[in-house]
Amino acid sequence: MTALGSGARAGLAYAALLVLLATASVLLGSSGLSSAEVLEGSLSMLGLREPLERNAQAIVELRVWRATCTLGVGAALALSGGLIQGMFRNALASPSLIGVTGGASLGAAFAILIVGGYAPRLVLEAGTGLDAWLVPLFSFVMALATTALVALIASSRGRASVTTLLLVGIAVNMCVAGAFAAIQYLTLEEWEVSRAILAWTFGTLDDRNGLHCLTVFVGLGVAALAVPFVARELDLLKGGEEDAEALGVDVARTKRIALVAAALAASAAVAVAGQIAFVGLVVPHLVRLFGAQSYRQLLWHTLPAGAAFLLGADVLQRWILGDGALQPGVMMSVVGGPFFLFLLVRSRREVSTW
Amino acid sequence: MVNQLAARNVCFEYPGSPRVLHGVSLELSRGELVSLVGPNGSGKSTLLRCLAGLADLEAGEVLLDGAPLRSSTPRERALRVAVVPQFLPSLFDVRVEDFVLGGRYARIDRWAGPKAADRDALERALAACDALECRGRAMSELSGGQRQRVVVARAVAQEASVLLVDEPTTSLDPDHQVTIFELLARLACEGRVVLVVTHELNLAAQFSAVMAVLHEGRLVARGSVDAMMRSEVLTPVYGERLHFGRMDDGRPFVVPRARMLRRPQG
Repeated sequence: MTALGSGARAGLAYAALLVLLATASVLLGSSGLSSAEVLEGSLSMLGLREPLERNAQAIVELRVWRATCTLGVGAALALSGGLIQGMFRNALASPSLIGVTGGASLGAAFAILIVGGYAPRLVLEAGTGLDAWLVPLFSFVMALATTALVALIASSRGRASVTTLLLVGIAVNMCVAGAFAAIQYLTLEEWEVSRAILAWTFGTLDDRNGLHCLTVFVGLGVAALAVPFVARELDLLKGGEEDAEALGVDVARTKRIALVAAALAASAAVAVAGQIAFVGLVVPHLVRLFGAQSYRQLLWHTLPAGAAFLLGADVLQRWILGDGALQPGVMMSVVGGPFFLFLLVRSRREVSTW
Repeated sequence: MVNQLAARNVCFEYPGSPRVLHGVSLELSRGELVSLVGPNGSGKSTLLRCLAGLADLEAGEVLLDGAPLRSSTPRERALRVAVVPQFLPSLFDVRVEDFVLGGRYARIDRWAGPKAADRDALERALAACDALECRGRAMSELSGGQRQRVVVARAVAQEASVLLVDEPTTSLDPDHQVTIFELLARLACEGRVVLVVTHELNLAAQFSAVMAVLHEGRLVARGSVDAMMRSEVLTPVYGERLHFGRMDDGRPFVVPRARMLRRPQG
């Protein structure tokens, strides 16, 4: 079996799985639309059919955007996790370590304050169309800014040691979490605002539109461009930074590219969907369990695997729970911990090297 | 082909710590195996890092055929200087072939991947290090001896003219120790610059052309084996508890000499 053959086979399997999950996701729902209607509505989005009547068409479009967004968010978080784990040489690292998640939360909270009219001088008139955009925009910018701050504080003479990066990441996360907690406390009385901030932290994929999808896929696409420039390097970094440098790896450059790509992918995902935990941590592990040990394979596998993981989990819970379904972020928090424990117990061999 | 790697008056210190190397000058020439010996903490591994261009020097310079090594890019350095590190993490999920191909990193095109020349180099390196039987396995499945041979094989696959080897025989049984030194001596004979940092004075004495003795960050002696394996040279460095002798064929050796412990009376 040639490498190309096995790669093509894996690609086909992933494609089939993703199509299946996307179809299931679009068909699932309580509106009573038939499969044929959903299909027609979806095709009309591509201009291939006449649209359905207005409400039905709107429902179908929401479902399609939701499924598409979920795929992008899952892939982006998983890729980010793979990059971060490679850079930190630690299978317990996740995008939240470098401040992405905390920064995004704080940005979202600021935006909600503004949209909610809590900061009168900064108020943008409701209905300008900007307010729907302010939350993802703020969270994206703050996520990148926080990561940049972490990287900046952790570097000296243009180099950032991984241990320092980790410690600074924890410290900056604490500062950000503190500011976030303060905002939450101060808005307790304004319960619409408070509720919006809290809901954002749960992570949501409801009411997404094409622009949300565009955001996450642009972030994901740019981050994925980095993969060929860091995959072999991250494999060689397994032996330590100095060993990699002796083999010819430009270690500082590799870490820089990996960090920026990871931050970009995770920021785009978090900006669009709010906090969704565990995807970035667990998907690289799942991919390793299925045999992709080197980062040359792992990083590419995280894309379809992450997309399938998040969408699969979402479809499964909506199918089981129906109208009582949780938000994906909440579901990941509920299921993610036990699932991670299960993985750890299954692969004790890995644990011994931590 | 590289003719000479030279440290000139190299000073080095780790940030916030006392100076480790105080003006070390050492020339390594093509074709001769040089052993760098000295007590723990004398600065041997640090000097090796400096010679490999992996450390920012406080003062002095390292010259590869007259050109400063540190100013070249990691890739340019890797094409000419290979390092066998003393420690590597467990690398439990890395396959031996992939590990050894890591030595080809600087030569492999990012987009084209390994070519026939790289596969050939992999085969030759594994064969030279007597490690062909390890090839399909994971690094974590190897015995200490196999692992060490595979690590040397990676440096051989790098096809660099300079080979810097840090304590390659730690945790190896005597037979495997000899295998490794034979290999290093052969690599030197083939026209490479080879430096080995070691505590195995007797192996160094048997296989190397030149011995260099480092003590408290200073190069205190450098010369032929016969000139170095003497009490006048080694006792001030290693202390009094050494016994010097000669083997059947006249080659010098040194062994630790234990003081007899007296049983407590009564």
